[in-house]
Amino acid sequence: MARRRSGVRRAGAGRRIPPGVVLGIVLAIGAVILVAVQSNNRPATEAAQQAGDGAAGAAGQVATRPARASGDFFARLGGMWSATSRIEELENENRELQAWRELAERLAERNARYEALLRMPVDSFGEGADVENSIAAQLVLDSGGPFTRTLVANAGSDHGVRVGYIAVNENGLIGRVVSVGRRSARVLMLDDYNSRIPVMGEASRVRAVMAGQATRPPDLYTHPFQMQAPRLDFIVGAQSLREGERIVTSGDGGLYPRGIPVGVARSSGDGQWRVALAASQRPIDFVRILPFVGVERPEDAPVSDAGPPLASSSSVSAVGRETLPPPPTAPSAEAPRPRRVASQDAAATPTNSPAPAAPPAVTPPPAEAPAPSQAGTPQE
Amino acid sequence: MNALRVPSRGVLRAWGFAFAVLSVILPALPLGPVFAQPPLPLAVLWAAYGWAAEDESGWRAPITLAVLGLLHDQLAGGPYGLFVVLYLSAYLVGRIAAQAMSAPNLVSLWGGFIVTALITVGIAYLVAPLGLGRNVSVAPYAEAAIITAIMFPLVRPLYMSASASLRPGARR
Repeated sequence: MARRRSGVRRAGAGRRIPPGVVLGIVLAIGAVILVAVQSNNRPATEAAQQAGDGAAGAAGQVATRPARASGDFFARLGGMWSATSRIEELENENRELQAWRELAERLAERNARYEALLRMPVDSFGEGADVENSIAAQLVLDSGGPFTRTLVANAGSDHGVRVGYIAVNENGLIGRVVSVGRRSARVLMLDDYNSRIPVMGEASRVRAVMAGQATRPPDLYTHPFQMQAPRLDFIVGAQSLREGERIVTSGDGGLYPRGIPVGVARSSGDGQWRVALAASQRPIDFVRILPFVGVERPEDAPVSDAGPPLASSSSVSAVGRETLPPPPTAPSAEAPRPRRVASQDAAATPTNSPAPAAPPAVTPPPAEAPAPSQAGTPQE
Repeated sequence: MNALRVPSRGVLRAWGFAFAVLSVILPALPLGPVFAQPPLPLAVLWAAYGWAAEDESGWRAPITLAVLGLLHDQLAGGPYGLFVVLYLSAYLVGRIAAQAMSAPNLVSLWGGFIVTALITVGIAYLVAPLGLGRNVSVAPYAEAAIITAIMFPLVRPLYMSASASLRPGARR
């Protein structure tokens, strides 16, 4: 001890640095290099992260079991305490809801008739995703850290999860799978600073990009330690957006399926629009992972056409080969759509430019017919 | 009477280590916003500062801090090495502060820890964009570091004693 003290206290040329400090400096420099190296998403670090997620997820599942069990126990205990008054309250609510249900059914029927009259496309939940084959999982880890907003669910490649699948719960969209291990998957949450999602207003159809921030507002008194709602950027027609309007995914870009509820539009004081996330209404526990592969990477979908590149032949012939539509075909029995219906579609679409008058003898080929999901949508 | 006796230094250090490990693990469990970081303090910063002052030249402190940092990186989903840098920088700054303080008392130790926490915020500002991109916000980390600094006097006995005899740079 005396020798160590003298080593620390000796001044001048004979002063030596303790080995712990040297080790600390070396480890710190190595850690900085490690951080910088990982910015390129190397497969080795990704594999290590996925393996670590699997182990940490299993440990987290065990560690949270007592908390979940005790939470259920206290919820049941509280429910028993006020069971009678709760039953009366629910019976009254049920009577009121019966009347609302009849009204809702009548309105839904009338709405369906109007939609059929206008040939409105069906706005389905998660259009393009394989909703029927969704994978149920339980949340076992929450990053909870100051830098990133991710979750770890206990379903991985063994359960069929792939990168790019969509995580939702009973309230709405949670995020997107960004990393998959064998028995765990890491989900990037909507309010992470890396998250950018094309969304639209459900009624106004106003398009925007929802950008996560992972920061907190300064009002610690009213919203203590609550994450700030993601803001809306690049709003197209912001004057049409309404306070409290439901925000759903627009499906633009092919990264998310269309029609998944995201939250509710809120206008902040500085003219900025934000989205109060639907999924964060209560703590997230169980999640549903929807199989969805939007846009494939170019490496995964090689072009089958092995023709010469554009520069190797005449530009006229190359452009013509790429851009000219196929020649019109003679009408056949498989194309029964009458011309009158097509003109009705054009009339039902409120566009500013008049619809071009097509020659009555030529029926458009099936390949050029508008897709059912896009026909009749006024803003698209 | 035995129950009122002050716990030994080893017991206090064990409790301090347990708090440090819990502050890494608890935010990663889905237990709600109360256990997120912030408001949960970064107890490993306390440990780094205290061990730097008392564990004069051993290798255990930097190794333990590196392991805790790697564990924190794994659970937080961030790049490996980020929390390692933050905790080890707190340790190194703590060493410098221990050398600089000749007669430490609670106020000077607290001031030294506040400076250490602020320096780690600056290091986070420099290093986090390397692994997470330039849009990353350091504000939540700064918030957690400030909470950690405010709570330091309450937990100081778990990580360090204010007596000069144990400190490497103290005049005796």
